[in-house]
Amino acid sequence: MSTISSHNPMKNAVAFAGAATTGFVAKNSGRSQASLAAQACTDVIKACGLTAADIDGICGMVPSPPEMQTMLGIPRVTWFDNPVMPVVNAVAVATAAVFSGLCQTVLVYHTPYRLPWNTASSLQDPFRGIGMPAGSGPGPESIFGGVGYTAWASRYIHEYNVPREHFGLVAINDRSNAARNPGAAKRTPLTMEDYLSARMIRWPLCMLDMDLPVDGADAFIITTAERARDLALPPVLVNAVTLGMVEKNQEDQTPSLRNHGQQVVVDALRAKSDFWTDGTDIYFPYDGFTPITLNWFENTGWCGPGEGGQFVEANWNAEQQRILIDGRIPVNPHGGALSEGGSQASGHIREAVHQLQGLAGERQVAGARTALITAGGYFFNAQGLTLVSD
Amino acid sequence: MTDLITDADLVRLFPGQPLTHDSAAHYRGRLERRLLINRCTDCGTWQQPPFPICPKCWSTAVVPTEVAGTGTIHLVVFLYQGPPAPGVDYSTPYPVATIELDEQPGLRFTSTVIGAPNDDIVIGKRVTLDWIDRAGTPLPVFRLTEGAAS
Repeated sequence: MSTISSHNPMKNAVAFAGAATTGFVAKNSGRSQASLAAQACTDVIKACGLTAADIDGICGMVPSPPEMQTMLGIPRVTWFDNPVMPVVNAVAVATAAVFSGLCQTVLVYHTPYRLPWNTASSLQDPFRGIGMPAGSGPGPESIFGGVGYTAWASRYIHEYNVPREHFGLVAINDRSNAARNPGAAKRTPLTMEDYLSARMIRWPLCMLDMDLPVDGADAFIITTAERARDLALPPVLVNAVTLGMVEKNQEDQTPSLRNHGQQVVVDALRAKSDFWTDGTDIYFPYDGFTPITLNWFENTGWCGPGEGGQFVEANWNAEQQRILIDGRIPVNPHGGALSEGGSQASGHIREAVHQLQGLAGERQVAGARTALITAGGYFFNAQGLTLVSD
Repeated sequence: MTDLITDADLVRLFPGQPLTHDSAAHYRGRLERRLLINRCTDCGTWQQPPFPICPKCWSTAVVPTEVAGTGTIHLVVFLYQGPPAPGVDYSTPYPVATIELDEQPGLRFTSTVIGAPNDDIVIGKRVTLDWIDRAGTPLPVFRLTEGAAS
């Protein structure tokens, strides 16, 4: 028996009042996560026309909500939480907290940061290496963590007999879109030759298949739709939000490419939302690793299993070197995790909010009113969010 | 013999491994070069990773049980870089493979494959358990099964 239903009493009752970002850099910024988060958080509070005293909920990972409250002098909060990534999880709990009345106006934030195990150069910042004992890992004979996506990429190639170029198109699409995003970390054009000659990290994935470690921060205000309508920026309504996971969710025990968290997200989000692929103006599939994006195209229903690469080819705009589905719908127009920077989906959500507010600058999708976000990967982090303009 | 191995010994012998009261028997088995996987003695269901209850019938009569050590490569990665480990040289990309064990569909164990060129280590190939030494403790690994059709 399935427990998934269309039941969604909070549909369109809660809204993003605003979003802000520091922009991302693919180098050690010389700043703390607190500094980056403070910039994004104060920017979004001010952009919404609010003050610290208006915030009664805090939701984020680093710095912790108690640290954030102290840092920004937020007088009193009635709810706070520190949910795990990706960031749709934070949106889900903040939306539910507002809808239920635990609080009314939540500050949500996320701070992508180059951690000592991301890159060798991260370790050149002595502060980043503190507390990281050397040689304490389980050794190489494991596919936990990021290696898991590489392992399932090998399975994807095995089952569907597709070339690595299908992964490469995902990377090129992101880079072409990032060229129009001044906050993106990588904006120089990328060719298929560049992709195929990039350094192999873990076969079958190379450097350009993996999200870019960056420093930066995003911040959001989530409040009731009613209150958002009285604030400075156009509200963006949460149409539906969901997480998804199946019984066997360890990287090496996951049943198959056609049976993991993404299918649960698709079933639930589709049942709870007012629109799906034929009604969205922008699509945001997660791209922490390129095969995740192809799997999202397939599971979301844009195409069949194993057809993600062919779908991208069929919807490729050669002049712009990017995906325009049906000649119209851009995919990760901010440049995604691969070129804007790895943000654990906060960048995707922020871009969706800005697009639906008409604040996306030169990459604005004319008349955009709906956005479909399918965040996260396969195992224990698949998530979905549909947003509509008010 | 391994009854004399204390929990503290296990932590010292298997640095970085997920040792708990539920996984300790698996690691004690490694010291005897026996690959132990949790199995429910009531309904026969195998489980990975080791939890203290059967996910199918909720029996707590779950016993670490030796597997035959035969299976099929389900996933494979070749690491061009990775964590330092004695005897692992990434100048030849290092294979990490998830093996589907013959005991039960979907029951998988992840390690490396030894004794074969990387081009031969592909999804679908049959493998057999073997053991190597890793910093003084036995490590379960796999070899391609000779004469087996893929």
